[in-house]
Parts: sequence; structure tokens; C-alpha cells
Amino acid sequence: MTVEATGIHRAFGGVLALRDASFTARPGEIHALAGENGAGKSTLIKVLCGVLRADAGTVTVSGRVATAFQELSLLPDLTVAENLLLTAPPRGRLGLVRRSHLAAEASRLLSLYGVSEIDPRSPARDLAVSQKQVVELVRVLALEPDVVFLDEPTAALAQREVDWLAGHMRRLRDGGACVVFTSHRWREIERLADRVTVFRNGTHVATRERLTEDEAITLMTGRTLDATYPDVSAIEVGENALTVTGLTSGRLRDVSFDLRKGEILGVGGLAGQGQRDLFLTLFGARKPVAGQLSVGRSRISARRQPPDDGRVVARRAFGAVARRFGVHRTGERWSLRGPKDAIRAGIAYVPEDRKAEGLLLPLSIRDNIALTTLTRRSRAGFIRHQAENAAISDVTGKLAIGAGRATSRAAGELSGGNQQKTVMARWLLTDADVFLLYDVTRGVDAATKHDIYHLIADLARNGKAILFYSSETEEIAHLCHRVLVLREGRIAAELAGPVGDAEEIVAASIRETADA
Amino acid sequence: MNRRALYAAAIAVAVLVIGAVLTPGLASWPGLRAVLVVASFTGFVAAGQMLVVLVGGIDLSIPWVLNAAAIVLTTTSLGMSQRLPVALALAIGAGLAAGLVNGLGVAWLGVPAVVMTLGMNGVLQGLTLGLSQGLTCDDCGHYAPSPLRDLFAGTVPAALLVWLGIALLVTVLLRLTVFGRRVYATGVNPRAAFLSGVGVKGVTVALYTLSGGFAALAGIMLVGYGGQASLGLGDPYLFESIAAVVVGGVSILGGRGDYVGVVAGSLTLVAVTTVLRAQQVPEHGRLMIYGLVILAILFAYGRERAHD
Repeated sequence: MTVEATGIHRAFGGVLALRDASFTARPGEIHALAGENGAGKSTLIKVLCGVLRADAGTVTVSGRVATAFQELSLLPDLTVAENLLLTAPPRGRLGLVRRSHLAAEASRLLSLYGVSEIDPRSPARDLAVSQKQVVELVRVLALEPDVVFLDEPTAALAQREVDWLAGHMRRLRDGGACVVFTSHRWREIERLADRVTVFRNGTHVATRERLTEDEAITLMTGRTLDATYPDVSAIEVGENALTVTGLTSGRLRDVSFDLRKGEILGVGGLAGQGQRDLFLTLFGARKPVAGQLSVGRSRISARRQPPDDGRVVARRAFGAVARRFGVHRTGERWSLRGPKDAIRAGIAYVPEDRKAEGLLLPLSIRDNIALTTLTRRSRAGFIRHQAENAAISDVTGKLAIGAGRATSRAAGELSGGNQQKTVMARWLLTDADVFLLYDVTRGVDAATKHDIYHLIADLARNGKAILFYSSETEEIAHLCHRVLVLREGRIAAELAGPVGDAEEIVAASIRETADA
Repeated sequence: MNRRALYAAAIAVAVLVIGAVLTPGLASWPGLRAVLVVASFTGFVAAGQMLVVLVGGIDLSIPWVLNAAAIVLTTTSLGMSQRLPVALALAIGAGLAAGLVNGLGVAWLGVPAVVMTLGMNGVLQGLTLGLSQGLTCDDCGHYAPSPLRDLFAGTVPAALLVWLGIALLVTVLLRLTVFGRRVYATGVNPRAAFLSGVGVKGVTVALYTLSGGFAALAGIMLVGYGGQASLGLGDPYLFESIAAVVVGGVSILGGRGDYVGVVAGSLTLVAVTTVLRAQQVPEHGRLMIYGLVILAILFAYGRERAHD
């Protein structure tokens, strides 16, 4: 056995992440590790590769080990080349680093592993998340290891990059290496894995050579789920909620579209075609070069939840006035000066990277959810704690966050799925009309994904307008009324949905690139 | 409340108990009062320092903001009680203004806090030396107005009540208000706070402004305590403010800490100095032991984090 672990216990501050866990993997196999968030997959990998020490149990791993962790570990201020060659830079006389050779050496390495679109001289912070992941993977592959642990390697990758990685994983296996990976995308597991091990609640449940998705979900959750995607075609689409005209920002070039109430509008395309710029610009977090945005809000208070007292009514009505003058404007000047204005205009943004952009990890679940709507539950700047507790327990109950445990716990202690729900809860409290959902299911377990799909459909049913991007094209294909395919910053195609077949979106994403 | 604030309080008590055993005078109310009064000055500057440290910043302009405010007070009041309200307003205003400029530079111009506040310290030092023509106000003969000096008289000096008031104010501000929540959010993760609609820049400016105000307050109290202002009055308070903040359990990276801890930190520092002085440890030895005590406390905090 190349990798063998038995009887592993590991706790974090009293919470058992692994209990009597065992795992074995052989040389010459690709072994998938499946399970919901919080099942202990990442902890197991950290224990196996020696980053974490087990509280009890034995671990045997033989051979040269390389690991790609779920949290990207590139140093943002170093260039791609410096990151790649961090541990073994080219050296000259006196043992000093030969900076002049760095870029050449790095681009040799990148092309050796079939990566052509990343400039080794650009700083890591300028890369898209998917490109960062690719660099991280090249760094791991370049070690030509005997044992490879890849924790969620594809979460940030688009289909083409997934195929690239799959090729390398197979090559390593065929060379006799042991490849262990985790993924929340069943298709990849099905395609790649020779064997699958399922974890639940920190312990080993099953290891199989063949496993259907339904069986796997049952094993992972301990229960059966109904049809994965809710039916969105029955949802009634209303009037315009958001109109974007001639938007140029970052990679975006002259993008125009309407988003209607009750509509789930998908944004597809290969990774890094300007999707992120689109979302950030609409939310006011990125300044556009040109373009107009208007947020339609003809009926302002009709759909709102009953306010808790007269004071809030007055403040909301005032906010509505600000909305009209602040954002619905004509002319070339952009009037969103920041997320504050966007929020006032009724826009919500759920970011892809919940740890860096969404959550305040050391703060409590309550503080995280309440943050954006603090002034609604305050008097003269003081927080009205009763109103706050009521609002928080209402929304956490609705979303089943943290399984009824105290909302005073730090958000960082939650599993990925619950963290994402926490971010969603924050925006549900804002009563926004337009939801910008950017890769909200990334790194989320099957059960939570399922909950999130239904949450999105419910939002649409309640007349919210939803702009939806996902690195899993499958989700866009099933969940959206309409799909805009972005290519090189422009809308290359508009597909009527539900598309149903992800291949169609992928085809539209690459069609003209192939022609050119 | 954060666990470190309790540790800080425990350390302060421990140092005082040790001090009381070594030097009998310390156990009496006059002895304790003296420690408290001296600690209050550190407490004032550390209040401001803590606020900026909570958002991952630092205020190195404290010494000369404090000094400038003290000089403004004495030169505008000229020792006359009826001029005191105006003089107080001018001194506090000067501190707030310096803090405001610091905040604007850090938040809007993106100048690193260390550079911005160090620059401000230099500018104010130059300005103060230039306007006072290098003379200490000892020579000018300007004394503190008597109501200010009276703050330090009596069994329970009013100055301590001022400190108590400030402690309540800062704690309430941080724990019970919308602004306080935004401060912690900004300190923990400014990007996420920004994307949640927090006016990160506004929060930052407000905190630097407050820090300037607290430094000025410390300057005013020191004038009242010493009866006059002198050049170099604020010099010890840069180190003291930062030390009190870290000993008080505030994370230097931001987002974590309470003023209760900082109060305990201020007491610890002053108690250590007092005990060493009473033991007639020579100046150089005192400095070394003082530094070592702070390092030991921070080492203990570092261990505590590793166990989390």
C-alpha cells in the first residue's frame, strides 16, 4: 500500500473532524474521496500529507508526496515564475537566484505541462482564480510525485482545464503513481476515478469501484434527494429589473442586456471571459470605462416584508427616493460609486470566494448575517438587539444554517455549505430585487447545492431577478431561463433555456474561437 | 468578551500584588491612586491607538499630536480659567484635525499608515518647535488653568472619573453600535466588509480622527497633572500606547480586542514601572526589565494562539 491510514482521530477545538477514520490507496490508481462539506475530506488529506498531526491513529505514506490544497497557496505579490520555482529557483554562482532565468525556466515548465495562456511574469494576484489553480497544479505536477493529493482541484476550473488536469492525472496513474482527489462534481468522479471512497461525519463509509450518483448521494448524506434541479420553466418572468447598456469594464466590451423580474439569467462561457468583471461592475465594486445601468423599481414597497415598526417604513421610503435618483440615471456618467450605492439600489452580490470576499471568519454567524442591514435594526446608531436576534433566528431557521446551533459561533467554524448559506442569508435580509450570484455552489456539498438551487428558484418565484454564473456549466444549463455566453468580454451568444445540455453552452463558448 | 482581556486584567492584578508585597506603600489607596492616575494617560492614548489597530492600522503621530495639543492649551488659555473652554476646544480640535488628515491620507490616498502618521508626527513636531521657538513653556510662564489642575486633587481625582467615562464610551461604541460592528468587520476583512456595504474608508477616517482626539485629551490631562506643558511631553507615549494595546490582547493585525483589555494593559505597564522604580532599580535596568516583561507577556499570548 502506498497510502494507508487507520483509526485516525482529529479534533478542532472540541469538534471532531475525523473519528476513527481509515483510508487506503494503491499505487497506479486514481482514487476519489467523496463526501459532503464537513465530512472530513480536507482534514484527512492534510493528515495524510503531514500538514496536520492526527490526535490518534497511524498514517503510512511511501514515496514522494505532493499536495494541492483547497485554499490556494500562491503568494499574491510574487510572479507566476517566482511562485512556480519558489523552492528550487535557478541558481548561479554563489548560490544566488538567477532572476534572468526565472521567466524562461517557468515558461518551459508551463509549456511542458501544456499550459500556454499564463504569462510567467505576471504577478499571481492578477490571475483569475482558475489560472491560479492551474499554476498551483503545475507546481504540484512538476514534482513528478509518487503520491499526489488534490483537494478540490477542479472547483475553480472550466471544462477545458478540467480535461487538461484529467489528462495529467491519468498520465501519473499510468506511470504508477497514486492519485487521490476530492470533488463535488459527480461527473468528474465517475469519469476519472478507479475507486471511490465515501466519507460521512468524519469517518469512512464505503470504498467501491462502481457507484452511481444516487448511491453516492445516499451514502454521503445518509438520505435520498429528489430530482436535483428545480423546474424553472414554470416561473413567470415579469418586467425589467435591470438594464445594462454598452458596458465596458475590465475585460468586458460593450455588453448590453436586460434582466427581468423572476428571471434567472445565466452567464456562461469559458473561465475568465469577463464574467467576474461583469458582476463586480454591476455591484459597484469595479469602475467601468463606459456604459449605463438602470435598476427598475416601479413598485417599491409592495413586495416587501411587513416592516417591524414605523421608523423603518420612513427610512425605507427615503431609501427609495435615494434609489431613484442615485442609480436610475441617463447619460454617460456611471452613478454607482460603490457597493453601498448598489445595495441601496436593491442589488445583492454573493461572491465566489466566500472566505476572502464574503465572510468575516472570526466573527459570529450573527455578525456576518447582520452586517449589511445593521441600520435597519438600529436606533440612533445603537443596535436593537431584540430585533436583530429575531431577524437572525428567522433567516437562519429558514435556511437551516448551522443545524440549530448558536449563532454566536464564529463563521469560520462552519462547513463550506453552511458558510455559503450564511452569506446568502445576509443578502436575503436586504430584500434586494436583483441578486448577482457568482459561483455560489463552488466547493459546496451535494445536499447544500440542492438547497441552494431551490433557494434560487424560490427567489425567482418571488419576483427577484437573478444573474447567475457558475463554473459548473451543468448548473447554468439546468437552472436558467436564458443564458448569455461571454467570449473575450462580449456576449457571443444568447441561448433560450433551460438549455438542459451543458455541451450546448460549451459549444457556444468556443465556436467562434475555433473559427478565428 | 475576548479571553485575552481577562488575561491582561489578571496580569495587571498580579503585578500590583507583587508590587504591594515588595513595596508596602503601593497597597494603600494613595499608592494605588498614583498608579491609576499615571496609567490613565497611557489609557487615553491607547484608546486611540486601539481604535486604529482594530482596523489593522497604527498611529505613530501620537507623541506630537499630544504635545501640540498641550502647547495649544497652555498658549491659548494662558493659565486663565475663563479661557479654558475655548482652549480645550482648540486643543481637542487640533488633535481631531491631525487625526482627520491622517485618516484621509491612509483611506483615500492609500498612504501606508506607518508613513502617513510618522510624517504627521514630524510635521507637528516641526510646527510646534517652530511656533514655540524652541522654548519650553516653562520659560513662557504659561501654567495650566486651575480647574484643570483640580482634576487631580481629592481622594478620588476627577481625572480617574474621566478615564472611567472614556472607558465606558469606547466600550459602548464598539459593542453596542452599528459603527462598532463595522469597525470589527473592517478590521477582520476589509474586502469582505466593503462588499457587504460597509463604508470602509469612512470607518478608517473616523478612527484616525478619534485617535487624534484621544492623543489631544492625553495632552490636556498631562498639562493638568504637571501644571504646564513642555516640549517632548509626548515622547514616551508612542511606545506606551502600542505596548498597552498589545499587552491588552488587541490583535495587531486588526479585528480583535476590547478596551477593557487595554485598560488592564495600561495598568500593567505603569505597575511594572512603579514597582521597579520603588525597588530603586537603575534606569537602564528598569528599561530592560520593562521590555522583557512585555516580551514575556506577548510570548504567552503567542503560545495561547498556537493552542487555539
